[in-house]
Amino acid sequence: MSKVLVVDPSLCTGCHRCEMWCSLTKYGEINPSRSNVYVIRREPAVDVPVVCMQCGLCIDVCPTGALKRDGATDAVVVDENICTGCGTCVKVCPYGVLRVDEETEVAAKCDLCSGSPACVNHCPHGALRYEDAGKAAARRREIWAMAHGVRIR
Amino acid sequence: MWYGFAGKLLRVNLTSGEFKVEELDKNELRKYMGCVGYAARLLYQEMPGGIDPLAPEAKVVLATGAVTGTLCPSGGSYEVCYKSPLTGTWNQARSGGAFGPKLKYAGFDFVVIEGKAEEPVYVYIHDGEVEIKPAKHLWGLNVEETTDALIRELDDPEISVAAIGQAGENGVLYAALINDRGRAAGRGGIGAVFGSKNLKAVVVNGRGGIKVARPKEFAEAVEKAEQWLKNYPFGSIPSLGTVGLVSLNNSLGILPTKNFQTAHFEKADQISGELLNRKYQIKRRACYGCSFACGRYTSVGSGKFATPPMEGPEYETVDMLGPICGVADLEAIIRGNYLCNVYGLDTISTGMSIAFAMECYEKGLLTDRDTEGMPLRWGDGEVMVKLVEKIAHREGIGALLAQGVKRMAEQLGPAAEEAAIHVKGLELPAHEPRSESKVLAVQYAVSPRGGCHMHPNWASTWDFGQLDCGMKEFGIPWPPTGMQDESPQKGVVYRYVALQGEISEILGACIFYSWGTEGSCITPQLYAEIVSALTGWDVTAAELMTAAERSWNLKRCFNAREGFTRKDDKLPGRFAQAIPDGPSAGARVENLDAMLDAYYEAMGWDRQTGLPAPEKLRELGLEFAIN
Repeated sequence: MSKVLVVDPSLCTGCHRCEMWCSLTKYGEINPSRSNVYVIRREPAVDVPVVCMQCGLCIDVCPTGALKRDGATDAVVVDENICTGCGTCVKVCPYGVLRVDEETEVAAKCDLCSGSPACVNHCPHGALRYEDAGKAAARRREIWAMAHGVRIR
Repeated sequence: MWYGFAGKLLRVNLTSGEFKVEELDKNELRKYMGCVGYAARLLYQEMPGGIDPLAPEAKVVLATGAVTGTLCPSGGSYEVCYKSPLTGTWNQARSGGAFGPKLKYAGFDFVVIEGKAEEPVYVYIHDGEVEIKPAKHLWGLNVEETTDALIRELDDPEISVAAIGQAGENGVLYAALINDRGRAAGRGGIGAVFGSKNLKAVVVNGRGGIKVARPKEFAEAVEKAEQWLKNYPFGSIPSLGTVGLVSLNNSLGILPTKNFQTAHFEKADQISGELLNRKYQIKRRACYGCSFACGRYTSVGSGKFATPPMEGPEYETVDMLGPICGVADLEAIIRGNYLCNVYGLDTISTGMSIAFAMECYEKGLLTDRDTEGMPLRWGDGEVMVKLVEKIAHREGIGALLAQGVKRMAEQLGPAAEEAAIHVKGLELPAHEPRSESKVLAVQYAVSPRGGCHMHPNWASTWDFGQLDCGMKEFGIPWPPTGMQDESPQKGVVYRYVALQGEISEILGACIFYSWGTEGSCITPQLYAEIVSALTGWDVTAAELMTAAERSWNLKRCFNAREGFTRKDDKLPGRFAQAIPDGPSAGARVENLDAMLDAYYEAMGWDRQTGLPAPEKLRELGLEFAIN
């Protein structure tokens, strides 16, 4: 089974290094606003990296067929030669992790760096991981449940 | 095309309400590298000597450097450079958080603020655009309220706000500028300068990136830094936060206590970093781009010292609002830290002013009549917290304390001088020069902003930390001779320590990463690799050293023009007396003069005056600074 990205917000310190590594890897510049991983840092004490779940809803709505699933990683990837930058995928994405890049003018999203995600490789505190899908699913369940559980003080 | 830098300087004139964008000159910038180096040149050339720091003619430079906002692990910093109203000297106040990186993403390396607005304003800088907006509705609000109001008003939760609170508005001489709610450009009174200009805040955000000249090489250099930092020698800083140093420093007899009367605190376990982390920490928090995350979010849940979640307290704050005032109540300290952050106060000068008042009260120099019946007894956490409130509002005895230790002592008379622990008017931080390190004694005496342990470096790295910080190849004496040694060699060592630290300052880096050895920190050599790949400039460690020396000399020239010479490079009288008790009993500073002689000589400065010799300035290409 292939691997998937999983996030543990309790370990995130809000350093934004994942965003910087992402933009450096994809565009050769350091620019968190051109990143395909999004760190939400709010007050007080909220630090959450938001990543693409690779769910594929965007594939279904793309009018030109520019979004496809990569056979090796199961990542949803953008074919830049076909994408017209219409932004339909941005509208439909439930997680808000798609954007139309202002410079290339085509859709941009996480493609798991072909199986070696730069954000995961450089997260200083292990808040982002690239794990076996079964293990990651268990972790996602856990984090989802804990985030919605009633905290007993 | 610019790599590493945005390439632009923004000049905002608050008197006329106009602004101007200037292109930076690459050669000139490279000469100083950027950040405080370039800011020193700007202020030296544009602000003649003798200007009142609180007058409209005074200028302020917000400065970033090559590595600010980049993947260089130390790149979360910016520096505010100005003439201090507290000391009358050059001052630079560094802060982390997101402000520096976002200023660069907004398209500017530097912002020069000039003049004085007629009514309160704030400056909003976003994606290359600049607006000077009314802030009457924000005047009187604290830093937290101001930040929240601006996020709503500008409808952008991603902005970074650097604001002053009531302390800055009221002209407290050590008021701070606080960015991102809990990160302080703390020392020297920049908050009062902002207040004097009717400037409530500077707000930044931007979607511009920083271009990298050689991305692959840059990534490799940064990966090397990430690896090296895994061996960082002060591992407790990332794991416990700086406050982890309280227990260690206390056990070594280097924890300043009761206004530097002694150097150990019997109740240190009640205020330790371990306790803070276990009982009050909500989470670890990093500055933008930092892999360490030494910041702590804490709160006190209930009781008389309850606080909302807030960044801190750091080591300095815990000592200053704790042992320095004899206070052993961690909840009072967290409350005091919270108030300093929201009112915009430097926790170091605040704590020292309170401790000074407590000693004066003990000696009968301040009485219940001065304090409206409030006894200022050592160890009273409630009084400490009340005094923080009074200082911020300059209310009652707070008006006296708001002027800092030097001016208070001048008013209270010669008997108070003995208890006035400052150099050039800047209250000393939480490091004991008698027992921690004698290089630190030199640093306190000569630091351009007064009694400072951080700018440009923590002098004790060499003999206390036993670290060369990559300076062996430049000739730093090795091995260290022991903390208590006062031979002239200590003066020579400080030259190397200072210049190595100044490299961080001119690059816009946090100095924590520069403490170590090859393989365990970011040495000047590794900075040169990172900066070369980033900017494409092919700089060497030697070039960084020369630029650092330029910056260091220019600041000395700035102070010389304000009348500061060797006669001002001195320590408070108390440090000639032995520490009375504890693990470091008996330690004192005896031979400062001999260490200073050696330091000036090593720097190429005149021994009599302590000022850079004309030949030295010519050698560095600083002819314009020859007087």
